[in-house]
Amino acid sequence: MKNFYMIEVKNLVKTYGGKRVVDGISFWVKKGEVFGLIGPNGAGKTTIIKILTTLVKPDEGEVFINGSNLFKEPQEIKKIIGVVPQENNLDRDLTVYENLLIYGMLHKVRDLKRKIEEVLNLVELWDRRNSLTSTLSGGMQRRLVIARAFLPDPPILFLDEPTVGLDPQIRKFIWELIRRSKAKGKTIILTTHYIEEAENLCERVGIIHKGKLMAIGTPLELKEGLGRFVVEHINGDGKLIQWIFKTEEEAYKLVQEKRIPVSIRRVNLEDVFINLTGKRIE
Amino acid sequence: MKVWDWYPVFLREMLLFKRRLFKLGYLLSAMMIPIIYLVVFGLGLGRNVQFSSQDYLSFLIPGLVAMSSMTNSYNWIANSVNLGRLYFKTFQVLLQAPISLVHLILGEVFSGMVKGLFAALLIILAGLLTAPNFFITLPLVIALILNCFLFASLGFTVGMLSKGHEETATYFNFFILPMAFFCGTFFPIEKIPTFLKPVVYLLPLTHTNILIRKEFFDLEALIAILVLLIYSVFCFLWGITLIKNYSE
Repeated sequence: MKNFYMIEVKNLVKTYGGKRVVDGISFWVKKGEVFGLIGPNGAGKTTIIKILTTLVKPDEGEVFINGSNLFKEPQEIKKIIGVVPQENNLDRDLTVYENLLIYGMLHKVRDLKRKIEEVLNLVELWDRRNSLTSTLSGGMQRRLVIARAFLPDPPILFLDEPTVGLDPQIRKFIWELIRRSKAKGKTIILTTHYIEEAENLCERVGIIHKGKLMAIGTPLELKEGLGRFVVEHINGDGKLIQWIFKTEEEAYKLVQEKRIPVSIRRVNLEDVFINLTGKRIE
Repeated sequence: MKVWDWYPVFLREMLLFKRRLFKLGYLLSAMMIPIIYLVVFGLGLGRNVQFSSQDYLSFLIPGLVAMSSMTNSYNWIANSVNLGRLYFKTFQVLLQAPISLVHLILGEVFSGMVKGLFAALLIILAGLLTAPNFFITLPLVIALILNCFLFASLGFTVGMLSKGHEETATYFNFFILPMAFFCGTFFPIEKIPTFLKPVVYLLPLTHTNILIRKEFFDLEALIAILVLLIYSVFCFLWGITLIKNYSE
């Protein structure tokens, strides 16, 4: 049973200043799966990623990654994970190439020069290899951080808000990289507060709010648990009123009955989040 | 090749050092204080001071070598680790690498030593050009290496302990700076008031200054080596403990 899941998290607790920022979180991720943690800023997503990537020690709980106990064999786990943190933690006074060179040496990447060329071509930064990292745009730096995580070709990737603050074009580019990694059999945990990102990329998602895992399942399961169609109306006070229905017929029936200006759309993960927490994600 | 696991950590710091070295302000700021002391105390006031055995400049240069190697080994690593850990988050990249924590510290400490030795070398060159009785001796070389290792290790520890860049400066002002003045850099330790002597003899730079001015290894020199080794091992092990218990 121990090796059945690539990542197994049991009853994780982390407290800062008396406040439980991670409050009894448990989940598992299968090999080759893209699992998303969604929730607003401050929900505890980044703390979970930091625990799983050896930067934070939890107060309670167990984590097994590829069968190794995270807290007893962290070195074994460091060999098989790639991390894209929320901030672009690159050495700004080193060139693009040097950043990857040092990382590759730290991770004992074989045939390093060829691998660097390969990942820089993948993120379309080969032409900028001799540029100082500080001269790159935010989007380019993000692509470099992703290239760095890909360099040792790790079987597990942790992506913490991989596309936050990026323009739509670069966001789509990064999504494509994630899809290609998934196709190569990588196991991926990503955190996001972009609903569209979670729905597009993740096979399963966990909804996090105030350190607790409120729900877990495929995006379809979570949405269908709520309903399929949302009828929305903005009343005279400017307040949004919503009705959720299992079928399109039920939604149209309400529209005919109410005779007020409404819009109809499909349920999304944000609706699930609002239903669980009473708040919007962003 | 596990024995070389420290090398990428060291190489990273060296590449950053090389890049910063060519920025004029960076090199000047690192060398400014010892140069001022050399000019003011050595070439200025020191011209009229004569010790029984030697001229003041020949006395001062080894002290400046010890001081300069101390501040540079300490400062560069304390700042690099602290800023990398708290602001740039680049230190986390090292923490997440599959290398042992001892190698991580070794890479940082070795790079701190290079920076300390580089600064010391400039003072040594100045000494060879200006001080008539200043020579490079084996005790000087050993004192220099131990001093750099000790203060780079201390710099690493402080870089890990400090909760902000200002705190790193506080450690410098309350510990490193007083040592620079009271531990035999500018005047012989024998001249210090008796009540202060026990404190001064507890501080590591005192023993560097004793060793660095020896021409041969007598009992006092061997005791100085032992004290510096004890401090070095203590600071290094402290660093290991801090990094082992690291949690954000």
